[in-house]
Amino acid sequence: MPAMKAFAAHLLRMVALVLASGIACAILVRSAPGALVDERELDRRLGEDSLAALRAQKAKEAKLGTVFVRYLHGLILGDLGYSESNHEPIAALIAERAPETLRELAIGLAGAWLLGLGLAIPSGRWRQSRYIFLAYDATSTIAAGFLLSLPAALVAYLCLVAGAPASVVLMLVLAPKVFQFARNLIVQGYGASHVAMARARGVGEARILWAHVLRAAAPQLLAVAAVSASMAIGAAIPIEAICDVPGLGRLAWQAALARDLPLLVNLTMLVGLVTVAAMAVAETVSKHGVAPAVGATA
Amino acid sequence: MKAVRTVAMVFLILIAVSAVKPEWWTPAQYDTQFRDAPDAPPSTRFLLGTDSLGRDRLSRLLHGTRVSLVLAPAAALLSCLVAGALGGVAGLAGGWLDRAILAAADLFLSVPWLFLLLMVRACLPLNVSPMHSAAITFVLLGALGWAAPARVVRAAVRQLKDSDFVFHAQAAGCRARRLLWRQLMPNVAPVLLAQFWVAVPAYILAEATLGMLGLGVSEPLPSWGGLLREIEGSALGSQMWVLAPAFLLTAVVGSFRLILPREDYSV
Repeated sequence: MPAMKAFAAHLLRMVALVLASGIACAILVRSAPGALVDERELDRRLGEDSLAALRAQKAKEAKLGTVFVRYLHGLILGDLGYSESNHEPIAALIAERAPETLRELAIGLAGAWLLGLGLAIPSGRWRQSRYIFLAYDATSTIAAGFLLSLPAALVAYLCLVAGAPASVVLMLVLAPKVFQFARNLIVQGYGASHVAMARARGVGEARILWAHVLRAAAPQLLAVAAVSASMAIGAAIPIEAICDVPGLGRLAWQAALARDLPLLVNLTMLVGLVTVAAMAVAETVSKHGVAPAVGATA
Repeated sequence: MKAVRTVAMVFLILIAVSAVKPEWWTPAQYDTQFRDAPDAPPSTRFLLGTDSLGRDRLSRLLHGTRVSLVLAPAAALLSCLVAGALGGVAGLAGGWLDRAILAAADLFLSVPWLFLLLMVRACLPLNVSPMHSAAITFVLLGALGWAAPARVVRAAVRQLKDSDFVFHAQAAGCRARRLLWRQLMPNVAPVLLAQFWVAVPAYILAEATLGMLGLGVSEPLPSWGGLLREIEGSALGSQMWVLAPAFLLTAVVGSFRLILPREDYSV
């Protein structure tokens, strides 16, 4: 029962946060200069009746509360509204663009974790023992620091020039962050007394890494995984805009520039939902799903 | 490591000094056009060449450095002040005020920071004067970056509030204002200072990303973001010097990261 209660509380918090982010976004866009003006009013070919209809439509949209309640009602029925800037239903737009972004995020995140963790493990494993790995550690740390000092949009442009896909850009943006966190956790893990004890007992290196180092670092690594998912979503916007990828990031950027309120609210709520869900999953798994490592607290 | 930090510090000081009065080192103002020499390669007259409008790239780079190096710390200061005030109030007051501030911070953190920044910036006016666009960009960075530091400050204040020395001070009759200024503030200041140093390079990078997407400081006022945008139209193979802003930005952000206290950015 307490687990169910905690799950329900999590779910309620998630829904509240997502709704609040949607409302905040709607208020923001509605208060933006020129939000209640339709460019079509400047079209001289439109007659008085058409202009009056346009103004009536805008006047209806001005009532934010009514618009949001209507939106929520539509959301329950599976209707996300209509995008004025793209002249297409929003559900169709999201369904059309989401696979590209999801593929990019999946490849980028998987690549970033493989690269970051793959570079971090040797740094921790041999850091204290051999000069060559001291040099390796210094080189990998400097390389990560260099990549962290570049804006995501510049990495995207340089990769575009080199012909690399957007998922590689995402990987290059995220991998140094993963490396930086993972390296410190793994170095800390290898320095623990229970690891020295396991080694003295003749436990194999693979088992030490898996059962004593990675398992001890798992809660923090899961938290980093959730943060990296959130960072990936944020980085997807400049990357998709620069690399001209027809995904959700580029759609969000175009919607923001066009002040397309229904589309922005939907995208903000979607991004908020994914971010909050990632955080909640990491928190739950790190609390309940991962048993503490052998001797981790010793 | 200490030597590397010293080198980074000296480099930052040199860059800051050269950006204080760019006119001393450069042949012209950032917006002066040499119409006889558009797209000129580096020469003794123009050390980094000129852009397509005939403006000296070095002048623009140094003026852009000044904009970014002055405004990014100002934005970081703003976010730290807001974080200090809200985090401090939440930690000290507790109860519904604490919960309300935490909920607001959660709301800000529920959407990725870069997404939030782009959305809000795109909703603000874009056709404003260059100075206004610079102010809007950096005030926005400061105003939207308070949530994460506020949580850190709140945690620090709560920990201090329950500590022995605060308890002893209260038992000795120390008043609330004195407790705040003499006991709590000196202990929270290092936390805020660390947040400030973490925020400066993050804001420089965020401005660069906004600038590359056309949402940063508007022309003709240069900033690193705006200068990086010029790379997009250049032939990198034959005009490597257009990458000078990227090199300088990387060196400055890298130096900022190096001078941070190790424990503040490593984990």
